[in-house]
Amino acid sequence: MNIAVAASWVEAPLRRFVDEARVQLAVLLLPSGQVLGQFGFARSVDVMTACALAAAINASSGELGRQLDGKPFMALHYVGRARQIYLASVPTADASLVLLAVFDDESSLGLVQLFFQEFRVEVAAAAPPASTEPPALGGDFERELNRNLAVLFGRA
Amino acid sequence: MSSPFGGILGGLIRHRGVTGCMVVGEHDGMIVESNLQVGIQGTAFAALTASLYRKARRAALAAGLGEIGFFELDAEFGRVCATGRNDLVLVVVAGEHLNVGLVRVEMLDALEALA
Repeated sequence: MNIAVAASWVEAPLRRFVDEARVQLAVLLLPSGQVLGQFGFARSVDVMTACALAAAINASSGELGRQLDGKPFMALHYVGRARQIYLASVPTADASLVLLAVFDDESSLGLVQLFFQEFRVEVAAAAPPASTEPPALGGDFERELNRNLAVLFGRA
Repeated sequence: MSSPFGGILGGLIRHRGVTGCMVVGEHDGMIVESNLQVGIQGTAFAALTASLYRKARRAALAAGLGEIGFFELDAEFGRVCATGRNDLVLVVVAGEHLNVGLVRVEMLDALEALA
């Protein structure tokens, strides 16, 4: 299974989620678009694109939820012709991460939702306190972004 | 508001040993309607059972056996029975004291309502 992570605590929960939910692609990222772990992507540029789009969708849907409901929407599901995407927040003690999963007929929304709930619990338990992590959008954001992509694709 | 499946589920849950029944989307694993006793995790059960049913159906088709008629999973302390039509799956979960024959007949009769 081709899982790559930029933070070691991501690996076990992400591996379990991918294995159980039978998704084709999965990315865990910070709301800023910085990748923490991925499964299924072959090229770093694809991860970068997916993370940028996922972060933008997450920000838009979050704000839409706040406008409509007073709080951000927790998850978004989109059904395509052959594949579906599931984008959802993964709250931790200090921050809220974002998971993007792509799946086809081998899985289902029910299965993805089911194993996502377990994933959330595992990530919340495994995530280190924010004080030990650098800020998500610090002055060296671009360097951090590139470093994470390099770690994921073995160029670090 | 009355639901199209309320009567079916209400009839099935009255059988001895039945602890839950539901109509589930075959492809998304989401509950359409359910009648469950306390203690059954409906959403998890629906997602997993729909997945199982879908795989069994595909296995039957791949083996050249045609469409699946009735699916029964025999476990240590009970049974799961399922049958489906038109992307919907009718699922019954029951304990050890189920009259499978009777429930099977009622489930197959109920397929008409799923059509």
